[in-house]
Amino acid sequence: MNNNGIPKWANKFLSTICPDHLIEEIEGDLIQKFNRDIKNFGEKRAKRRLLWNIIRFFRPGIIFRNRFSVDLNQGYMLTNYFKVAARVMLRNKAYAVINIAGLALGITSAILLFLWIAKEFNYEQFHVDKDRIYEAWNRELANGEINCWSTTPRILAPTLVEEYPAVESAISYGAYHSSHLFTAGKTQLIKTSGVFTDASFLTMFSFPLLKGNPSTALGNPNSIVITESFAKQLFGDKEPFGADVTIGESGYTFPFTVTGILKDLPSTTEFHFDYLVSWQFLESLGEKDTYWGNNSVLTFVKLREGEDVNQFTEIVKDIAKKHSKEESSVEVFLYPLTKLRLYSKFENGVQAGGRIENIRMIGILGICLIAIACINFINLSTARAQKRAKEVGVRKVTGAHRHSLIIQFLCESVLLALGAGIISIVIVFLSLPSFSMLVQQSLSLDFQSITFWSIAIAFIVFIGVLAGSYPAFYLSSFHPVRILKGAPITSAHRGRLRQLLVVLQFGFAVTMILSVIVIGKQIRYAQHREAGYAKDHLIYQPMTGDLEKNYQAYKNELLSSGVATSVTKTSAPITERWSNTNEISWNGKDPLDKILIERFNVDEDISTTAGLTILEGRDMDLQHYPSDSTAVLLNETAAKLMGFKHPVGEIILDNEIEWHVIGVIKDFVLTSPYQKIEPLVILGGKKEMFGTIHIRLNPNRLVPPTMEAISELYSKYNPDYPFEYHFVDEEYQRKFSSLKATLTITTLFGSIAIFIACLGLLGLSTFMIESRVKEIGIRKVMGGSVINIIKLLSIDSLKPILVAIIIFTPLAWLAMSWFLQTFDYRIALNIWVFLLAGLSIITIGLLTIGLQTFGAANGNPAKNLRAE
Amino acid sequence: MLICLTKYNEMKKEYLGEFEELILTMVGVLREEAYGAMIAQEIETRQKREVNLSAVHVTLYRLEDKGLIKSSYGGSTSERGGRRKRLYIVTSAGFAILGAMKAARMDLWKLLPELKTFGA
Repeated sequence: MNNNGIPKWANKFLSTICPDHLIEEIEGDLIQKFNRDIKNFGEKRAKRRLLWNIIRFFRPGIIFRNRFSVDLNQGYMLTNYFKVAARVMLRNKAYAVINIAGLALGITSAILLFLWIAKEFNYEQFHVDKDRIYEAWNRELANGEINCWSTTPRILAPTLVEEYPAVESAISYGAYHSSHLFTAGKTQLIKTSGVFTDASFLTMFSFPLLKGNPSTALGNPNSIVITESFAKQLFGDKEPFGADVTIGESGYTFPFTVTGILKDLPSTTEFHFDYLVSWQFLESLGEKDTYWGNNSVLTFVKLREGEDVNQFTEIVKDIAKKHSKEESSVEVFLYPLTKLRLYSKFENGVQAGGRIENIRMIGILGICLIAIACINFINLSTARAQKRAKEVGVRKVTGAHRHSLIIQFLCESVLLALGAGIISIVIVFLSLPSFSMLVQQSLSLDFQSITFWSIAIAFIVFIGVLAGSYPAFYLSSFHPVRILKGAPITSAHRGRLRQLLVVLQFGFAVTMILSVIVIGKQIRYAQHREAGYAKDHLIYQPMTGDLEKNYQAYKNELLSSGVATSVTKTSAPITERWSNTNEISWNGKDPLDKILIERFNVDEDISTTAGLTILEGRDMDLQHYPSDSTAVLLNETAAKLMGFKHPVGEIILDNEIEWHVIGVIKDFVLTSPYQKIEPLVILGGKKEMFGTIHIRLNPNRLVPPTMEAISELYSKYNPDYPFEYHFVDEEYQRKFSSLKATLTITTLFGSIAIFIACLGLLGLSTFMIESRVKEIGIRKVMGGSVINIIKLLSIDSLKPILVAIIIFTPLAWLAMSWFLQTFDYRIALNIWVFLLAGLSIITIGLLTIGLQTFGAANGNPAKNLRAE
Repeated sequence: MLICLTKYNEMKKEYLGEFEELILTMVGVLREEAYGAMIAQEIETRQKREVNLSAVHVTLYRLEDKGLIKSSYGGSTSERGGRRKRLYIVTSAGFAILGAMKAARMDLWKLLPELKTFGA
């Protein structure tokens, strides 16, 4: 029998639990006892007793007799590793700088981008009942496609609460952005950031009240809930809670009492308001809005606990069809509050991306930047392997295990990453404010939180291990005998791997350059698009306070004093969508056709004020044609849509009013300069429809004195309100701001990517020239010209860049055409864009390696060859 | 270089449990032949008391820690599968504590007259 009767597993068990210096006698005693037991009790019982005896050795008296020790060798060696790492870095300062700078830039960008992503995922997460809150959406089958939209009728929320027991509460949320003049004592303020909502808003969401009772604060028609900072603006240091305030709107004033002070809204919410007013107030003024076709508010629903949203959606979807007086094919469905920010884009009724697509791109960008920085490290370490080979050889000969060498090299990379990490945290700290501004998000870093530091350190160590693991395995694999004999490290396929990694780096760089060029071109293209009206010398003002009453006098004086050449009242600024509908009908309209038509109301003279071109018919002119309050101008697209051969004189029906077409205007850009022109009807209208005044300034006068003159007239006719105006051309430029921000971000991170890649290229080419310095010397001695040597050296470095351009250009082409598809009015991708991108990356590459290559080729060969 | 973190050689307050005293006495009794298996065997035969081998070992180690016995490697026999014995002898400190314990017990015995008469 093995081991004199002790089974193998038992033996193993014993040697695990018993201290080494005791194992021999314990085994001996066990065997001796076993042999005696065989004599006394027979083999079978003896064996049982033996096993029992062995198991009994598992006791604290034995186990704790093991020497628990730390091998301080490890500690000494660790210090040594760090010491060696520091010395290696100091000896090759340039490489250390290249590595650390690259890593620091990569880590900085990644931290900034990941902070941004984390912020996006934090939206609406603070609501206690966030999992039970939904937004009600509408969907409708129109022209063969399911349209989804989030505005709903005002009557939806009360109906949901009344008729569906599964609903705990439902509220309408109306943000109309109308100007309200607040008066509290002597303070007067104009705010447009008010929201009409139901009383249960404060209990549904978790916006904490500093003062006031959330369940009753909005219970009164004349109660108002304001935010902390608005209270400060309005009341200063006086106690705002319970104070009286009046709100003025279009000439009327209403008294309110402050019944709640809200803590300022967190930055992780899409709700934006300074004050809340109850629907009861609006409804106490006039009729309740019970029309199911008027989608003007957002509706939020909180289901009771345990209710299944899918089941409920099934029940509730026909609510509009059931209640609506007219025939309606609109269905209601619920969408989770927590998904609204990132996932609320629908295509043909199915959730399809949304902001999350951008977030994914940002994530990929961050990962790519880190990867590029890590590639630098990998390339430089493997390229310089020869320099470390002797050290590895000596360490191995003196007894180093491979794993300890791996640990050594990992220590080096972690040390490097830590250095880079510290630098990048400092850069992040310094650049966070400007980055926040760039991405229009208030990002912050909590430098006191342990979570932040632990995540940051874990992340940085991870980067160190990620960058260092391949070089560590490679460097530790050298055969000591061969190295110490002086044999060179054969690295043909390592060289190929390095080139592959460089290809990846520059492939990414090419893609980024291309994106920058394409986005920039697209913006310029859209900016140069014919707007269809004269944007300069045109301003608009909101119709506030007494202006409505004094409009005619104001207009007359503007015209007679010569500061303005034309003045028109409109329903909205010409740069904004005001209202649209699919319920306009005309002679010959297909009843199933549900195409959306934009609506815009004007009183008269819109063509002269805005500089629109009349193609057919005439402009509105109330003086000569008093019936023009029911006249309509079509834009070309609308005229084509309606299929009128001679539009003038036709009748269209909207809101049960017959509008007679008096003219056709040339298409102009109302909403997005990137999209095709929507069909538009410019309707006449009644007095109360006009919320904006457009003024065409006299082009022969200087702007500053003109504005001064207008300001004077304004304060004469509307003394309570501050002078407010907007230049249309400035507002028009805002349409480009989001794409411009994308361009800035792409340019920024593209430049960082290119910079890091170039750092790596610089390091590699320096190394290559260093190791070929003798070859260059000999070539020169043998008569090689400087140009030839430069060519020789450059081609080696540029080859991977060329490969990158060839491989990545088609991919970038695909990505860019996919990106451009989101625009109706877009540039065509042509070959020049790609040539430009390729050429610029080659130029950048050449500039990077140029100086060194030139220096090496120009060097004195005698100097380089002397050492032999 | 190994640094031992556990310390067993600290002198604690002198006190021996019943089993410790038994083992210590046994080591003294067996003189040159005192090792784990032999001690267990002798306790079984002389005292008719079943003892577990691991308990004997643990006690021996503890006594050695206290400096009451000391050990050295002895010879190996085929009966032990070629493993060496660890032979224990009582140190002078061990004898001293045995003597002290016996004296203390005898003092107490003298105070038990009834027991004497009862036993007589």
